[in-house]
Amino acid sequence: MSTTGWIVVAAVAFVAAAVVVLYNALVAGRNQVEAAWRQIDVQLKRRRDLVPNLVEAVKGYMGHERDTLENVIKARNAAVGAAGGPREGQIQAEAALSGVLGRLFALAESYPQLKANENVMQLQEELSSTENKIAFSRQHYNDSVMAQNTRVESFPAVLVAGALGFAKHPYFEIAEQDREVPQVKLR
Amino acid sequence: MPAGPWGQAPPAPQAPAPRPQPRPVGLTRTDFIAAIRRNRRNTALLCLALTLVGVAAGGGIGWAFGVLADPDPASPLPPMFLISGAAAMLAFSAVWTLIAVFAGDRIVLGITGARAVGKDEAPVLHNVVEEMALAAGLPKPRVMIVETAALNAFATGTRPEKAAVAVTRGLLNALGRDELQGVVAHEMGHVANNDVLYMTAVGVLVGLIVVASDLALRSMRFVGAGGRRSGDSRKGGGGAMVLAAILVLLAIGLLSPLMARVVQMAVSRQREYLADATSVKLTRNPLGLIGALQKLDAAPVRWADASRAVQHLFIVNPFKKFAADASALMATHPSIEQRIERLKALG
Repeated sequence: MSTTGWIVVAAVAFVAAAVVVLYNALVAGRNQVEAAWRQIDVQLKRRRDLVPNLVEAVKGYMGHERDTLENVIKARNAAVGAAGGPREGQIQAEAALSGVLGRLFALAESYPQLKANENVMQLQEELSSTENKIAFSRQHYNDSVMAQNTRVESFPAVLVAGALGFAKHPYFEIAEQDREVPQVKLR
Repeated sequence: MPAGPWGQAPPAPQAPAPRPQPRPVGLTRTDFIAAIRRNRRNTALLCLALTLVGVAAGGGIGWAFGVLADPDPASPLPPMFLISGAAAMLAFSAVWTLIAVFAGDRIVLGITGARAVGKDEAPVLHNVVEEMALAAGLPKPRVMIVETAALNAFATGTRPEKAAVAVTRGLLNALGRDELQGVVAHEMGHVANNDVLYMTAVGVLVGLIVVASDLALRSMRFVGAGGRRSGDSRKGGGGAMVLAAILVLLAIGLLSPLMARVVQMAVSRQREYLADATSVKLTRNPLGLIGALQKLDAAPVRWADASRAVQHLFIVNPFKKFAADASALMATHPSIEQRIERLKALG
């Protein structure tokens, strides 16, 4: 074969090897994002299971907060409905549940009788620990998403990522209204 | 007011220029799984390099012994001894490495007396460990407690799947939840950065080089007799060979362990900074670890019966009371002041 022929063969082999390396890195990144999401899912499911128990346990003490309790149940049911659906919808429903739960915890501070109920305290400890775990697994999910999105958008992967079926992943963000500090009225 | 040389008041003494902030170590990485892969590769390379050094030292000692036994340049002894010395070193390092990698965690847990605890016994510790494992995206390590009043913690396990995090009873009692989280995150950092494998490998190879140097130094006492005997009975070439053999033994005996230890300790200190940085990345809260380090520094109880063999594993060195000179070349850990300074730079 001529020299030019060999150069062409070498160039094609080099490009093919580069695509293989890129593809494998992208697959590993996508699987990591999926694994991170499943970790959040485990914690979110645990929270959805714990919420009705907590509402049931505090109902007797917090009769005046029926609106808040109903909102919690509504948000929880919406989160159950969104589970298994598209990821953006799940993220929204779970963020809304986080918001109303935060409000419930803040309100519970003004019911000292709750602190005397061991069952409620245990549930609250479990639930706030689950909140922590959701926060940390969300942090890991977002870290993984950032690494993968950077990978997908970086040159030269950006040339082939779309064609190979790799897209950017959505971040798990908390909606703006849920970041507000809950209003606590003094009475 | 006294006038200055140009009829002005002398300028007010200026505050010393702020020291340049130390560069945060490895903080740009949020992808631990990729970091572990990279770390494994580095470990393999470092082990290969140190193994080659060890094998070269073994070969050098073997050759020198051969020369001392028979200084005749045509003698077949030196090359034979060279090969057998190198082979012995290689076999020794392979066996030692296998033991360290596969039984290292059990040995460490045995030496320190750590005991696995269930979730009902230490719910907060379990929750904190699980939270940090989630933050790192790694499997939850085993949770262990050491029954001592000293304040310390360590991680072990050469793979994240086999890792264990242990804290002392004193630490569990003395720290608040955020501080405990900072310490556990530091240990998770060691697991995530694969430091246990890294430091085990470095420790084995450094130990090997120290053994080789010891052998070289011990052999020196026989050199005097051998050298004199060869001087009058052999050809001139033999004398030069003997001199070279003595120089090789001296170099291996005196220099290599020193160099190896300095490298090992430098690596160890770097890994501590990296674990601190990783801790902040996991908790996003440097104040927890800063508070914990301050309490560890102020704690009056040292861990007197800890073993020196595992001192580099702990979050703070169990033997030394840290002062400014703790960053000397041979320290396993940077001083707590320096670590806190770097943590503040992160916050």
